[in-house]
Amino acid sequence: MSGFVRGKFAFGLKLVLLAITTAVLALLTESAYAQKEYLIGTFILIAILALNFTYLTKYSIPLKFFVPGILFFFAFVIAPILYTGTMSVYKYQTGNYLSKPAAIEQVLILGAQPDAAGTTFDIVVGKNSANQYAILVSDITNNKYFISAKTSRTPVPVSEVKLNADKVAISAPGFKPISLNVLASNNSYANIRYFYEGKYYISIESETVGAVFTQGLSYSESTGIMTNLLTGDKYKDNGKGNFAKIGGTRDQILSPGWRAPVWFQNYTRLVTDNRIRTPLIGVFIWTIFFAGFSVLSTFAFGLLLAMALNRRMRGRKVYRSILILPYAMPSIMSILIWAGMFDSQFGAINSILHTNIAWFSDASLARGAVLLVNLWLGFPYFYLICSGALQAIPSELLEAAAIDGANPRQVFRKITLPLLLQILSPLLIASFAFNFNNFNLIYLLTGGGPRDTLDGHVAGATDILISYTYQIAFGKNIQDFGLASAISVLIFILIGSISIFGLRRTKVLETFE
Amino acid sequence: MNKWLRENAWRHAFAIFMCLFSLFPLYLVVLSSVKTGGSLALTSFVPHEISFSNYQFLFHSPKTPYLLWVKNSMIIASTVAICSVVIGASSAFAFSRLRFKGKKFGIQLLLLVQMFPAVLALSAIYVIMERVYAFAPKIGLGTQAGLILVYLGGALGVNVWLLKGFVDTIPAELDEAAKIDGASPVQIFWMIFLPLATPVLAVVCLLTFIGTFNEFILARLFLVEMNGRTVAVGLQQFVGGQYSTNWGPFAAGSILASIPIVIIFLSLQKYIINGLTAGSVKG
Repeated sequence: MSGFVRGKFAFGLKLVLLAITTAVLALLTESAYAQKEYLIGTFILIAILALNFTYLTKYSIPLKFFVPGILFFFAFVIAPILYTGTMSVYKYQTGNYLSKPAAIEQVLILGAQPDAAGTTFDIVVGKNSANQYAILVSDITNNKYFISAKTSRTPVPVSEVKLNADKVAISAPGFKPISLNVLASNNSYANIRYFYEGKYYISIESETVGAVFTQGLSYSESTGIMTNLLTGDKYKDNGKGNFAKIGGTRDQILSPGWRAPVWFQNYTRLVTDNRIRTPLIGVFIWTIFFAGFSVLSTFAFGLLLAMALNRRMRGRKVYRSILILPYAMPSIMSILIWAGMFDSQFGAINSILHTNIAWFSDASLARGAVLLVNLWLGFPYFYLICSGALQAIPSELLEAAAIDGANPRQVFRKITLPLLLQILSPLLIASFAFNFNNFNLIYLLTGGGPRDTLDGHVAGATDILISYTYQIAFGKNIQDFGLASAISVLIFILIGSISIFGLRRTKVLETFE
Repeated sequence: MNKWLRENAWRHAFAIFMCLFSLFPLYLVVLSSVKTGGSLALTSFVPHEISFSNYQFLFHSPKTPYLLWVKNSMIIASTVAICSVVIGASSAFAFSRLRFKGKKFGIQLLLLVQMFPAVLALSAIYVIMERVYAFAPKIGLGTQAGLILVYLGGALGVNVWLLKGFVDTIPAELDEAAKIDGASPVQIFWMIFLPLATPVLAVVCLLTFIGTFNEFILARLFLVEMNGRTVAVGLQQFVGGQYSTNWGPFAAGSILASIPIVIIFLSLQKYIINGLTAGSVKG
């Protein structure tokens, strides 16, 4: 009976939760479609269907356990990875950030050019007798006055306008000026091109000044050609995300460009472009060295400690609690603390050593500091692991070796170490992979520097691949999402292969057979 | 006596040396947090006087809404921890006990994709959440809710190992008996697995809490507003390379933020070490 009640209650609760989730997601779908985000909208729609289907039917029991996790997994892990892959075949960088239609719109707006003389007029903004947005223009040099609206221009005789001391018209018959307050809060006035003559128009520069412009460029939808109306030059889509001058040199392009598919160009640039290849190779070598050295040093110190403390001795518990501290601290805090200690002017390290060394301005010193800090952060991990692993080595083995006359060093080299390496190799590989991507350490400690920013170098001396990629995508000068994505994909393949290799060794997958 | 020296002296010497190395930065930070003036230059290893002005600055200066940062960190980390445990526990149960098509493929995909570091997908997450912001400003870029959603993307993969290892230790006879009594897998999960797993779930929950608390780069991308930041982002931006001026309050702030984490960690030592040998690496 109680099971029945509980079952009913649970069923009701499930329905209510499902209904609420569905309602929220439905609202999201609607607004996503309204904003023309069709892909995201469709994804949410599928999520709604999947949730309702799973929890209202008995089609698949396992799905009931997986659906929420899978949805999050697809939305925030798989989708970004796929998107990264997509971006890697696009020219997607500063100057080529927009979609093509948005870029054309921008090019046309930027294509407006002032007339040859750079003429400006005093103006009053308001509405004309037909109640259209209009400006009252005073051409003081020629002593002419006119009211100009979007499509037409009406001259006003000097006798009819009211002038101020500077001979600027303040009002005219049938013209209703608007106050500056209204003007400031309503920008529909500012976006209008007021007719001047021929191809020329007046654009509002400030509340009282208008300037004469002409549209320098025109775009033909059918031919896809952008024409400069003043010089007659024609520009065509160059297939690389820009309009380039027909018959012109490579640099004669209009900006902004758009994100254009360039297929494997981002990948080939890694190999062929010397300005990318050279730093990339340097960063790659340092990354391997950094990760390898970090694993070795933390493992060596951890193992030595574990062996030193691998027997009943006084104070072992105290040692253990202190040694675990660097690992128990939030790593972000400890890295920031170390960064402060290495501060050249006020840092504790300089004041203890009585030196005045700029630690992070010299490439080798900065690298040494990075390795030292990583040793501090990482040795407790291997100390803990090795203590456990040492216990797991059967003592008979060691005793047998000792009886056979092996000295402690031989026992360590021939028995303990090989056994440990066998037990711990997956963890050593995992640690290598972790350090290979140890973004926080590099970013928070040195920021990847020292870096020759004057030469426009993106790669710093302590930059590892992942922080270098971050610099490319979110750096200060040029942000190149396309190139960064291409490197990301390569890192993924690299790390993936290392990890699969590691997994094979642990045989962890077999437990899922 | 000689034998004792030979056998033990180097052990103590090395252990003490490593302990000093471990404690050195921590001691310095504690020292600077109770100094006046907030300079980090080391004048002596023993404080002449103890002052709490740095702590006061932290709580009262508008430059550092520290309590708000702590609150944000708590809200974000606990929401993520609880939700990830629910998601992780149910999938670990399914991976361990249920038979279904594509199980091996699923676990392989999960493992492989986990290797893709979040930092590399950063630009993609940025662009996607920027678009979400355009139609749903409450869960898009710049919001805590959006950040939590992104964190939950990893919930399926993280901790599945630890949890699955635990599920495997629950004797299969238990659920077989329940099955014979007519229980469905969902009922077995709720009525047998969850009550048994409570301790291990608590541990996983706290570990996820620590991990989220420690996360920096996504949080920095999302939380731009001063009052919406987490402790990690807030303190990092607060020092922002200017250690000379802000070091004192930073030291105080990092100590306060670290103490609960260190306590959780030390009390869970045993479980964390078990988890370590199962192949996880703490960030």
